[in-house]
Amino acid sequence: MTNRLRVLRAERRWSQADVAERLGVSRQTVNAIETGKYDPSLPLAFSIARLFELKIEEVFSPNGQP
Amino acid sequence: MNPLTPRDGRNFSIFSRWMLAAILTFAVATILIDSDSIPGAAGWALTVATVVLMIVAMRSYVVFLRQADELLRKVHLEALALAFGAGIISMMGYRLCERLGAPKLDVNDASLVMLICWMLVQWHGWRRYSVEEES
Repeated sequence: MTNRLRVLRAERRWSQADVAERLGVSRQTVNAIETGKYDPSLPLAFSIARLFELKIEEVFSPNGQP
Repeated sequence: MNPLTPRDGRNFSIFSRWMLAAILTFAVATILIDSDSIPGAAGWALTVATVVLMIVAMRSYVVFLRQADELLRKVHLEALALAFGAGIISMMGYRLCERLGAPKLDVNDASLVMLICWMLVQWHGWRRYSVEEES
């Protein structure tokens, strides 16, 4: 699964720590999602999409899809 | 920078304190019972206290896991699974080695394998998901 978390975060000038605090997770988790080392659970993926006011498919997509 | 969220840090601290209390009680109980320094009833009471403290520590670890950040939970659950597997494999494997003439070991040695494996896999997970400072 790929995601646009780093881009979306940069657009809002948020740090990983900012995003982590808003989501109630560790900065390690945000970093692991951004770098593709970890795929978030469905509830967390929805929380991330809600944080950026986007649909989940606008943040996450299966591998090989834009 | 602390990689734990405040809630995880608090829960892990609670677990650590109960675990420390359980370990200290276990050590004291072992020394006193082995040296025959306490009467039988007190020895049993100390043993019950140790087991109760271990149960409370285990319960606080479950609470920590249930409330943990999901990546942290994944690291801990992987460590537990691998430690459990390593313990079973070492116990069963060594049973065969004993039949072939290897020196006899007791169940504590398998516990040690589990504990070391649990710590090593956690350390590996910690490193795998460690973060660099943002530029």
